Amino acid sequence: MTEIPSLLRLASDAAKHAAARQTVIATNVANADTPGYRARDMAPFQPASTEMPLNRTHPGHLAGTSRSARVFQESGTPADPNGNTVSLQDQVLLGVEATRAHNRAVTIYKSSLDMLRASIGRN
Amino acid sequence: MSGFSNAMSVLSSGMRSQSQRLGHISENVANADTPGYRRKTVEFRAEYDAGQRTGAVETGPVRLDRSDLQRLHDPAHPMADEEGYYFSSNVDLVTELADAREAQRTYEANLKMFEQVRRMSSAVMDILKR
Repeated sequence: MTEIPSLLRLASDAAKHAAARQTVIATNVANADTPGYRARDMAPFQPASTEMPLNRTHPGHLAGTSRSARVFQESGTPADPNGNTVSLQDQVLLGVEATRAHNRAVTIYKSSLDMLRASIGRN
Repeated sequence: MSGFSNAMSVLSSGMRSQSQRLGHISENVANADTPGYRRKTVEFRAEYDAGQRTGAVETGPVRLDRSDLQRLHDPAHPMADEEGYYFSSNVDLVTELADAREAQRTYEANLKMFEQVRRMSSAVMDILKR
């Protein structure tokens, strides 16, 4: 029984990561013509380590930042004469990628929820 | 969920800026034969809120292109000088068309991303509906 809640948490973390990545990509697309703007991206999703979580003695303390939540500037991409490095084609492709990752996470969430419902005898 | 509405507001700022740019391009094209008209250009810049970058884009002040006006020969023109020349606009239609195409392309990319974000947020809503 303890697998399903952790599966739900994993799926919601993955969905949150995909949504945050989509926001980063949306910012790139909106700034596709801003002079000097450099395209950004996010590291791929990594599940939070369950073996050794960072303990907090107070809820107000900062939690450790996970590596996959980091936003970085893309490097090595050719720039326009005005210093902008956004390539619309690439960004739309990355957007589709993020949408698919989000759909996958939401589908896993839904089916885990269905399993949980089935195990308590409801449909 | 706030991530989605943030992404949507960023994308709508992109669409707003591009349509403003397209508006100035159409003014330029319409005034291509107006004597003394200088083409308007608009610059994009990142939007700041209390010193923090919001990710959204906004348009800067409208600037006039300082390049030389075209000098055309037409002695019958009411503004022609003794030699029969008058100053027309400095609008180059090919440049304006290319600019318009670029603005349209970026607008469509923004719209496509908007649609993707909307679909993602409705997928999350579907979980609640069950």
